[in-house]
Amino acid sequence: MTTILVIVLTVAVLAAIAVSITRYRRSRDGVDSFRRQIDALSPEARRPVVDQVQSAAEANDASSADDEEDDDDDGT
Amino acid sequence: MARDLAIDLGTANTLVYMKGRGIVLNEPSVIALNRQTGEVLATGREAWQMIGRTPGYIVAVRPLRGGAITDFEITERMIRLLLQRVGVSRFTRPKVVICVPSAITEVERRAVTDAARRAGAADANLIEQPMAAAIGADLPIDEPVGNMVIDIGGGTSETAVISLGGIVALEAVRVGSFDIDAAIQNYIRREHGIAVGERTAEEIKMAIGSADPTPQESQAEVRGRDLMTGLPKTVILTPEEIRYAIEDVVSSIVASVVRCLSKAPPELSQDFLVRGMYLVGGGGLLRGLAARIERETEVPVRMSNVPLEAVVLGAGHVIEHYDALKGMFMGARR
Repeated sequence: MTTILVIVLTVAVLAAIAVSITRYRRSRDGVDSFRRQIDALSPEARRPVVDQVQSAAEANDASSADDEEDDDDDGT
Repeated sequence: MARDLAIDLGTANTLVYMKGRGIVLNEPSVIALNRQTGEVLATGREAWQMIGRTPGYIVAVRPLRGGAITDFEITERMIRLLLQRVGVSRFTRPKVVICVPSAITEVERRAVTDAARRAGAADANLIEQPMAAAIGADLPIDEPVGNMVIDIGGGTSETAVISLGGIVALEAVRVGSFDIDAAIQNYIRREHGIAVGERTAEEIKMAIGSADPTPQESQAEVRGRDLMTGLPKTVILTPEEIRYAIEDVVSSIVASVVRCLSKAPPELSQDFLVRGMYLVGGGGLLRGLAARIERETEVPVRMSNVPLEAVVLGAGHVIEHYDALKGMFMGARR
């Protein structure tokens, strides 16, 4: 009887430890993934996209200058 | 190995960003089909040039309206052709991130992802357009400050308040620059008795359309078909007439911006007075719109320096940092 009680108690304690470790890991995962997300949105991480933005803006300026030169004549 | 893709599947234009390469495709969201055989005759710019100018057996259509797929089969074919054009084949199946309006329904959401998967994507995830626009417009959304972005597309207008990488407040209306074109068409038909096509209406909007009076306004000569006689006819339109014609559409866009501002928490609201709101999307290029929003909200409005590409560049950044940013996909946070 005592043996069974000890086994049950041991299993319960081990289960409680496993649950708390999982919960802790999950909360760390949440913190880590939030931190990773914020880091990935930082100005440093976005530098390549910013460069794209600048080159796209330059391309826009160039094409609008071209449009002004050869003004269209359809409809309006 | 396939390079992953970000797609801005807009009502007006579709842009594709390839990981490591940047924007590789920017074309109108139009497809031309043979009505009898169902065969695709053209897509993109070539199909756009056919709108309103096709013989009876050809139909040039926009498969998206109001940011939603109106014809699933045609959209799937258009996405497949677009993916083929950027090098996707049966053997190279990339991961794809697609920008969609935040207000789309669960059914529409599934329709877009299914269309992309059937068109050759290994995995398809969605991201809200205002969030992608804020990243692409280089707003400091990683900071705990209020960033406000107004994205006016062909079929939808969305305003979002973003802080710490998440959407705090959002307001979307299924009204966009195509509704402005339609309002111009209706006005000319009603007041001048002539019919003009949607491309001509768009050209009128770009030539003399405005949401608020602007300096150096000029008139436009418009040619169309007289509804009484059926003969070609020319009329002169003024900017005041066009402002009157599009007033309802502009008012509804401005009202949605005001509603979004009223939803924002007070701590973030004060940031807007200093940082302003950012306008992106093709519809944001309407003359006087920034001034009109600024006048009605008393908050500064700034134009993004890449209004047409901001959304796809933002989604492109997400595809470049796929693992870190996959929590931003629609459905991931719910």
